[in-house]
Amino acid sequence: MTTQLSVATPTPAEPRYGIWPRTRRLVLQQPILQVLVLGVVVVWLLVTVPGIANLRSATALLIIASLLSLAAMGQTLVVILGGLDLAIPGYVIFGAFAAANLAGGQGWPVPAAFLLTIAVCGGLGATIGFLCHRLKVEPLMMTLGMGAVLTGGTLFLANGNYASAPAGFLRGLAGVTSTTFGIPIPPIILIVAAAAVLLWLGLTRTPAGRSLYATGINARAARLTRINTTAVWTLVFAASGALAGIAGMFIASFSSGWAQSIGEPYLFSGLAAVLVGGTTFGSIRGSFTRTLLGALILTGLSTIIVSNGLAEAQSRIIYGVIILIVVALYGRERHVRDRF
Amino acid sequence: MNRVLGLFQRWPFAFAMLLCAVLLVVNLVVSPSFVSPSRLGMTLATLAPFVLVGFASTPAILSGGIDISVGPLATLINCVFVAILIPAGLGDWPLAVPLLLGIAMAVGAINGVLVAIVRLHPVVATTGVLFLLIGASLTIAKNPVIAPDNWTRPLAGSIGVVPGAIITLGAAALVWFVLKRTVFVSNLLATGESDSSAYGSGVNVTAIRVLAYTLGGLFAGIAGIALTALLQASGSTLATTYALLGLAAAVLGGTSLGGGRGSLLGTFFGALAIYLLQQLLTSAGVQPNLIEFTYGLLLIAGVVLGATLLSPRISRRTA
Repeated sequence: MTTQLSVATPTPAEPRYGIWPRTRRLVLQQPILQVLVLGVVVVWLLVTVPGIANLRSATALLIIASLLSLAAMGQTLVVILGGLDLAIPGYVIFGAFAAANLAGGQGWPVPAAFLLTIAVCGGLGATIGFLCHRLKVEPLMMTLGMGAVLTGGTLFLANGNYASAPAGFLRGLAGVTSTTFGIPIPPIILIVAAAAVLLWLGLTRTPAGRSLYATGINARAARLTRINTTAVWTLVFAASGALAGIAGMFIASFSSGWAQSIGEPYLFSGLAAVLVGGTTFGSIRGSFTRTLLGALILTGLSTIIVSNGLAEAQSRIIYGVIILIVVALYGRERHVRDRF
Repeated sequence: MNRVLGLFQRWPFAFAMLLCAVLLVVNLVVSPSFVSPSRLGMTLATLAPFVLVGFASTPAILSGGIDISVGPLATLINCVFVAILIPAGLGDWPLAVPLLLGIAMAVGAINGVLVAIVRLHPVVATTGVLFLLIGASLTIAKNPVIAPDNWTRPLAGSIGVVPGAIITLGAAALVWFVLKRTVFVSNLLATGESDSSAYGSGVNVTAIRVLAYTLGGLFAGIAGIALTALLQASGSTLATTYALLGLAAAVLGGTSLGGGRGSLLGTFFGALAIYLLQQLLTSAGVQPNLIEFTYGLLLIAGVVLGATLLSPRISRRTA
């Protein structure tokens, strides 16, 4: 899908023909490796845990993967831009608070909770993006600070009340047994699938998508080609905030409640999904499709690990090894001597 | 006014130092017993892991990279000591200290190899290692293991009249002081400022990077020992808390994330400022959640101030 853009890759002179260079290029450009790994994981899952092959378990797995990839959707865009959003836990917690305490406990209408989440998380994200680009500071620290502000502020507002259940409508969107217009697939899976298609179209077929990739690779060059890089940064960080906030609403609805630590796992696992999918910092090969594959692989793997009697701790170790192997395969940077 | 600004621009950690001075005075007003000799040992002991994790993340940032895995490395060292070495009878200090610091430096060196030789993006490489370390700590000690009486206890109290934390902090500072007398630190700063220029002037950029991460590992190991002294138990759940605190301390202390500029002294003041702020809000009876809120605001304000008022307007590089 990024074939049109590949012309711009600064590839050093290498043989363009022959089986090996062509395979290598194909593997680099398309997430073939991830699809193969996903196939292996699915087969492995079916062999070691035969009981999983029923509709209910498969749906549950798909929901978990959907939530993970929804939380990592904004992170994917930020990583393509060459940054990192450490405020994800804050956004997720605010979303969970809006779903459970506002829409559930205080009886706010659901659309109002949605709008509030998008306005708060998106607004704060936009502020970060604008400031980072204007002041030329790394988004790492700004997002870390914003994450602490959001987490602390939200927990203060919640005032120790984690007991209220999210609104019934929201639980209907993310519950394992819910149906969409009679089809036995929960709406959340279809929502994430639709978002994936839209994002794919947006990234590959619109000028906005091209601006994003161009800014990620070289912000100065992009500005000189009259791309409004400030707008790109502001919008991408706003999108990251809003999407993570919405993910937080669904996460709370899926697990019928929330806790103080609900956001932290989604930061690190979400980043793992982005990296395993093969999106690297400021690269033209990043896309949400890859993150989706990464999320599916990680969800499948942790299911295998947990059902084989190993603990959550071992799945962390395997996450780490996989990230290092995948990125070492094709996320390597150039040597200093080649960058003169 | 311009002269004051010029001072801030010449000394990147002056801002953190000023912040520390102000917070210290306010702290003394709110609770006058804050620096009484009887509490000083405990205060320093709480501060030590904080500062040391900040130290640990500094060399990697100076080399133009970043190390997210130092906090989890400190908790891993803590878990290894409490849950493996002590039960195995290897808990005496002549044996345990070299062993723990050796493990920590080895992990640091792995980070360095991944960044400098395998040439992964520093954030990616250290995130991968972060997962490995968190997983390993949880495997070793999922639930807190209480340590029996051991040699680390005085490090959180006092040895004679000397507060124990002075020893852990002093050891790290001494290592840095000695290294500053060698060519290593200036090569490190050169590499961070512009790796291609350093490479062109004959600096072995790869070796410098690996050494920088190894040094970070050593500091993280000392932080692990200071953490053990404070907790007297294994605290595998602290890993993610400490992961980002060290970075915050370094940046607040004027270390530039672009690399090449900053110092250990700055990191010390950065960590001290964060600690004093928490102390002040706690003793003023503010809710823990609002403390996190304020800490976030301080971080944002520090970064914004550092990028606007306090930064020299030369060599602003494009992100």
